[in-house]
Amino acid sequence: MNEKVQIFQVEFSEAANDFQKFCFMTRAKELQLEACAALEALRLQASKIKQEAINSQDEDAANAMLSFEEMIDALLNELRMWVALKEDDADTAWNYLVSAQYAARTAMQAHSVANHLNGYVQHLYMLEQVLFPPLGFFSPGVIIEQSKCSICGQEYGECEHIVGKAYMGEICLRIIEKIKEIKEISLVSEPANKRARIVRLTDENGIVRNVMTWRAVPQQISDNAETENQENFYDR
Amino acid sequence: MSIITSEYVDVRTQALKLGCNAPTALALLPINFDTAKSKDELVHEDSVLTIRKLFRQAGITETKIEKDGEKIPYEQRKSFEWVAPTLFVSASLLSQNANFISIALNVISNYLTDYFKGIVSDKTVKIDIVVEQTEKKKSKRIQYEGSFEGLDELTQALKEIRNL
Repeated sequence: MNEKVQIFQVEFSEAANDFQKFCFMTRAKELQLEACAALEALRLQASKIKQEAINSQDEDAANAMLSFEEMIDALLNELRMWVALKEDDADTAWNYLVSAQYAARTAMQAHSVANHLNGYVQHLYMLEQVLFPPLGFFSPGVIIEQSKCSICGQEYGECEHIVGKAYMGEICLRIIEKIKEIKEISLVSEPANKRARIVRLTDENGIVRNVMTWRAVPQQISDNAETENQENFYDR
Repeated sequence: MSIITSEYVDVRTQALKLGCNAPTALALLPINFDTAKSKDELVHEDSVLTIRKLFRQAGITETKIEKDGEKIPYEQRKSFEWVAPTLFVSASLLSQNANFISIALNVISNYLTDYFKGIVSDKTVKIDIVVEQTEKKKSKRIQYEGSFEGLDELTQALKEIRNL
């Protein structure tokens, strides 16, 4: 592996061990925010090394640095989740947790430097189970006529890139371009997109409640008031 | 885990009836291939494009049932269950290479190992394989639903089917 990547690996490992001590509810919010700022700086450093690897066409190094970027994102999003919970913003906290889970998965798919993340992935899953109430998710069933590859821009079926694999520091996504039909919207327990969820419901007394907080919310509420993160329509 | 075996339509006859290419070796069949009344109704599983690429990269040759320049749309369900396109394997291909299905399943299994990285919850896959039985002029379908780690058992079930 590229020497710069090896040096960064040591630096990241030390930083991750250090910052993980703030990933608890009891840790001080200002220290968690300081850790977030430090992780953002570390991410910039990772992106710079990744760009250098791309410039020198070192695909293994570029993919390893993508993996580090994603590991940093996972930790950063977990810390932001704890901060959001302290700020009584459960909907945002959920989105951060989901981002942390997706980032950890991407890190593992991108390069073997993240092969050790199984325990951390399990930890994030446990947080989902313990910190948040059971949620209902939506899974749209759509008929697609055309999609393109995010790596080369060709029609997805025509190129050789595989969705979910890393190519020169970038994960291949399939961008949906033309939908023929929306067949169904199903309620599922294991969705591909955990942000597509029920955000409010009406209880037995006719009161509309936020599913996370159980607070009563106005009947008419804008669609993005409770959940801001909208994922682009792409496939992994 | 469940493995269900059932009768399937004669694939070549149905392909010709729908105005498609009749597969001679390996083919990836649309979800509703056996029940479709016309070509316009055909819909592939979402995974078909990726599996085609993986087979191509592994040197596995496929007969596309689509005529040149035609495209069959595909259905995407954004749940975490992974569904493979229906794999059709002709009797002649199996007689030439008895291990062919194992090789194809191995390609899929390797891909799924990466696909399921970082996923803690259920890692369910669904794979249907249609095996042509020349002498009886019909095909058998084996439907597998279970963990991707259990695909070896599907290979075993297929061996038993070939002996029927």
